Amino acid sequence: MRLNIPDRYLDFAPWVIATLLVAGIVHIVSVLLMPSVAPRDALARLAAYVKSAAPAEGLVVLPQMTPGGETLPFEDPAFAEAVCVYDLAKGPLRVKTNVDGEDYLGLSFHASAGRIYHSITDRSAIKGKIDIVVGDARQIDALASADEGDAPPPQEVRLTAPAKRGFVLIRSFAKRASDQERARNRLSTISCQRFDLPQG
Amino acid sequence: MDLKPYANYLRAASAMIAGLAIGLLATALSLNAGYGFNSLRAGPWISWPHTGAPDIDPYARAVISRSGEAPLGRDQGLAFIARTDSDGAPLNADCDYRIVDPLPSARYWTIALASSDGRLLANSTERYGYSSVDVLRKEGGDFEIDVAREARPGNWLSPGQARDFVVMLRLYDTSLDADSPPDPESFPKIVKLGCA
Repeated sequence: MRLNIPDRYLDFAPWVIATLLVAGIVHIVSVLLMPSVAPRDALARLAAYVKSAAPAEGLVVLPQMTPGGETLPFEDPAFAEAVCVYDLAKGPLRVKTNVDGEDYLGLSFHASAGRIYHSITDRSAIKGKIDIVVGDARQIDALASADEGDAPPPQEVRLTAPAKRGFVLIRSFAKRASDQERARNRLSTISCQRFDLPQG
Repeated sequence: MDLKPYANYLRAASAMIAGLAIGLLATALSLNAGYGFNSLRAGPWISWPHTGAPDIDPYARAVISRSGEAPLGRDQGLAFIARTDSDGAPLNADCDYRIVDPLPSARYWTIALASSDGRLLANSTERYGYSSVDVLRKEGGDFEIDVAREARPGNWLSPGQARDFVVMLRLYDTSLDADSPPDPESFPKIVKLGCA
């Protein structure tokens, strides 16, 4: 079969193909790079707020949402929220709280670059308690090897975080507008503490 | 000046520049289109359940890291967004709408207004949404929520002075299956009542 295409078009064909190849590569690379170069992602916004609110680490309750005063976009105004920004290079993290089984409490574990690696609500609490340890692979291994022996099995849930930096976002539901204060008080009973690995 | 010896260099350079422009344009377009793949659609409501799970796709990660949001975890519930009414017309703050039963089963739900970039809408009532607990119900448990600038009796949400808005429906601890298409009949309708 003979295609009836003028030669001058064929001359351009390799360049058109090259253009499309470059476009494809640029598209894929820019999408994949976006999470690591985006300057105002959720972690950056929360870290900036935590820094401005209190120098201490641990749990920081976010201000009540108002128009123009949201820490994060697309959050539910019916909730009071708290955040725990962590850096596992300093050590593993323990998130601990009691739940009353009545009011909705959601905990989500976000790695840097926009990935949620674990999320639970108060429904998955064990015996009215939520006790979660977050560490990198080495820290979780160290905890597991410290367990070997006669000690009773650990009560906590252990999570291996996919990245050193990230945050835990805790959402506490205020059923009515007048429950905001109560929802915030529930947040302040939650502990989010860095701890040292057992020696040995 | 004779450019002929450099013709191939010029072509290569223009292929590079054109490729760069087309690639970036494709990225901008695809990131504005939503949160990647695997959306759930029910009437005007759309959700991307994978944004809250470890298997989030690269497009969704790019979108949420650019917008700065922290999605709801997959095991916590589902967040739906409506940018149109039930007839498919874009939501316009100059129009009045009514959001009517039913709702999929969930431990709690909330319905709230937001701007298209996820901010709360300033309005005189300082109410931004209703929850399954504080919504006023008729006898039998049905409810209606009116969206209008002017005050309404009953459940009323105001978009304030915004020009457009979106409606967020969030289902907490829902039994809805995120892997199969939901039944649009089990989702609320957004009915346009009239325009100013």
